[in-house]
Amino acid sequence: MEAGKNLRKEISAKLKDETLRDALGRFSEAYPIARAKAYENAGDIEALRDALRQMKIDTVAQIEEVADRFEAEATKRGAKVFRAKTGDDLKEYLVDLCRKRDVKKIVKSKSMAAEEIHLNPYLEAAGITATETDLGEWIVALAGQRPSHMVMPAIHLSRFQIAEYFSKELKEEIPPDIAFMVQAARKELREKFLRADMGISGANFGIAENGAIGLVTNEGNARMVTTLPRIHVVIIGYEKLIPTIKDAATILKVLPRSATAQLMTSYMTMTSGPTPVMVKKNGKWAEEEKELHIILLDNGRLKAARDDKFKEVYQCVRCASCLNVCPVYTLIGGHVYGHIYAGGIGAILTAFLHGMGEFEKFHELCIGCRRCTTVCPGKIDIPGLIEELRIRNVKEKGLPFVIRQLFENVISNRKLFHSLLRFASVGQKPFQSGKLIRHLPLFLAGVAKDRSLPAIAAEPLRDRIGKITKKIDKPVRRVAFFSGCTIDFVFPETGESIFKVLQDLNMEVLFPEGQSCCGKPVIAMGDVETTKRIAIDNIKALEEMNPDVIIAACPTCTESLRHYAELLKEDPEWGPKAEATAKKVREFCSFVAEEYAKRGRLTKTAGGPKVTYHDSCHLKRVLGIDKEPRQLLEAAGCELVEMKDADKCCGMSGLFGVKYAELSMPILEQKINNIRDTGAEIAACACSGCMVQLQGGLDKQLPGVRMKHVADILAEQIKEK
Amino acid sequence: MNTDAEVWKRHFPTATSGAHLFPEFEMRAKAVSGEVFRVPDAAEARETLIRLVDGVGAKKAVVVESPLQEAAGITEALRSRGVTVYTEPADIAAHAETADIGISGVEFGIAETGSVFQDGGAIATRLVTILPPLHVVFLPSANIVPGITEAFDIISQSFDRGYVGFITGPSRTADIERVLTIGVHGPSRFAIIAVDETPKGGEA
Repeated sequence: MEAGKNLRKEISAKLKDETLRDALGRFSEAYPIARAKAYENAGDIEALRDALRQMKIDTVAQIEEVADRFEAEATKRGAKVFRAKTGDDLKEYLVDLCRKRDVKKIVKSKSMAAEEIHLNPYLEAAGITATETDLGEWIVALAGQRPSHMVMPAIHLSRFQIAEYFSKELKEEIPPDIAFMVQAARKELREKFLRADMGISGANFGIAENGAIGLVTNEGNARMVTTLPRIHVVIIGYEKLIPTIKDAATILKVLPRSATAQLMTSYMTMTSGPTPVMVKKNGKWAEEEKELHIILLDNGRLKAARDDKFKEVYQCVRCASCLNVCPVYTLIGGHVYGHIYAGGIGAILTAFLHGMGEFEKFHELCIGCRRCTTVCPGKIDIPGLIEELRIRNVKEKGLPFVIRQLFENVISNRKLFHSLLRFASVGQKPFQSGKLIRHLPLFLAGVAKDRSLPAIAAEPLRDRIGKITKKIDKPVRRVAFFSGCTIDFVFPETGESIFKVLQDLNMEVLFPEGQSCCGKPVIAMGDVETTKRIAIDNIKALEEMNPDVIIAACPTCTESLRHYAELLKEDPEWGPKAEATAKKVREFCSFVAEEYAKRGRLTKTAGGPKVTYHDSCHLKRVLGIDKEPRQLLEAAGCELVEMKDADKCCGMSGLFGVKYAELSMPILEQKINNIRDTGAEIAACACSGCMVQLQGGLDKQLPGVRMKHVADILAEQIKEK
Repeated sequence: MNTDAEVWKRHFPTATSGAHLFPEFEMRAKAVSGEVFRVPDAAEARETLIRLVDGVGAKKAVVVESPLQEAAGITEALRSRGVTVYTEPADIAAHAETADIGISGVEFGIAETGSVFQDGGAIATRLVTILPPLHVVFLPSANIVPGITEAFDIISQSFDRGYVGFITGPSRTADIERVLTIGVHGPSRFAIIAVDETPKGGEA
């Protein structure tokens, strides 16, 4: 696909941009610490997030009424309210207004909505000069670029680059001294404020109760824009409306803290109705009432409000904290996302504002690590919404031919799929060294440059079951083990460890022969129908064993098996069965920790190796399991040393790690560095996807450290009876 | 014009607010580069202001009166030191851009954030607060509310139309290399003179 190729080219260019990498790298380190500090005196942060979320949910449920009230109250106080269905409607209204009022010069404070509809070029074409007055916005405008971050538009530029743009614009040599440049901008823009015929501002919120709009800024430019010119135009999206004045407090408690780690911005301004303005007439200053226009922009927003899932985007207050913690955004910045809204939330907003065609290009840059969901003040399930959009996209357009063939004919056909994996174990031989593939031919070389790939095991787990199954007298439980493809075909030794640990707990362990891929790679691409077929096959295979418990040792498989209930809920035959199966599914670490605790074995012991533990994104943030693996490691005698950012993604994320290898590698490198810094001998984790990535990275970059599943470490402690 | 200012006073929560919150307010305001001077009475308020004026060698001031300033005789004190003072909206509009200092009164402070709340409905107020490089405000030191929520309890009952807002330290930016730089479009210095004594003839 052409778009995919261009995207990869752009990613490659951004990864080579030292200024960008350095700035974003430092920022992503500093942000979480600064944010935590800003919330120190805010009380219960979860309660604040819940309050914002609930207020926004209640608002979007009655968005038309709220908009009507906002319009009525603003109108009553003397504002002119215009509802723009599209960007074009807005632009035409505005240019018409400028013509009628003889407006030639406009000063603008930040408006993402104006960026979204490309307002400035349209005004220029109509002979109207619009000057951005937010320093960052002004800089990117001078550079002829787009903002790369919602809150810090020019974060991708260095002082040296900015000095060049300033020198060109101001026609004098401007040194790359930040304080000096800020003063030069102040001087230049002050003139523009004083001479402007119109001020255009965005709005951080619009209050239905009294038709007020609220603005938070640090530079003071919004105060200038709303105070000095004789006409003030507000551009506000429907998602910014809130019912009452008090609701603004709910936003202000979190917005500055999340956006810039400030308790409050320098200026928080609320204005309702036209306010006085000073106008010079015949050489004399006189007070007049200014003209206030409020343009309420739809451009896809009302469609989102009526969508049962996507109304969630109304919970966004544009703080950009989701970008600040995103492992992908913090490597490549915002320009790659193609439109004004970057990151995961950007992909979703883009789908509504610019259409699915645009969404298709960028959604793969969300690796589903869910880190954003831990900081979003509106608690938006960004990765969940992206998955939903993928499903809708596939329903509408279908999958590319090759992938469809692969899913419909290969992955959903267990026998064929498994034969191919066995065949691969032979085909990979020329490249294999031990259990890893260290080199790949030509076009695949990038995939294995800083990471070895795991070799498909010569003997999969399913062929070893006879050897490893023990006869258990009076078993306490019947356990069916769902291995997933990776443990079955790549890490069968880990499968053996799991058998050993569970059998040691006096449980009968069964391996359902008919089990296949859990379906995650298929649903992740949005193919619901094929996933359903896979689900039914797996339910059959598992239930044949009549187990008490179903154990998976991979968080993604655990999630997928549980999700079968939702997936098949409309199916009268398989729906109830899927639900019964889902209820039996347990993740290995949490299950074993519980059993160890019952037997008094979950106590810290000493004498084992120094181990550091990597939290799998899905194990921690979807299943909520992070203490149990650590408790198990300590029970096994390990000396546990925490690495920095233990819960930050390793960069694998299913097929992402292979398709966007170039992007996956720097994420992995950070992880390997953090492991190195602990001085541990073993890096443990409890996710087979992470195992692939970590083992590959350690092999190439830190060969002294071994990677193990928690089950492997537990198994080593068990004495053969 | 200041009918709104009367309205918010009626809703000021005397039970939960007060001078006991001042230390937290002061700490937060200073943390964002605000300058805070707490003084016992009008005479010291006047002296503090004069020190600020002398410090910057101010020649021209734009002033919007408030009860605390009137009690301290700020405008007269400035004039007697040779500072040209403008107090009328038309004069303020003509001179705010070139004035060395802007002076105004604020309604209350917020301990949680170190912000002050000001009713900027009058155009003159907004001009003196935003255009000169140094902005000095007068605040009754007992008028401190605990947090944003309490501030909005007052605002929601008193703000119907007009222009209100929080000011929290001087104008700032971090748009170039995330380096904090003070004084972009608004004032580069923001000073709060907080007065303990209530002016004669009523509440602050």
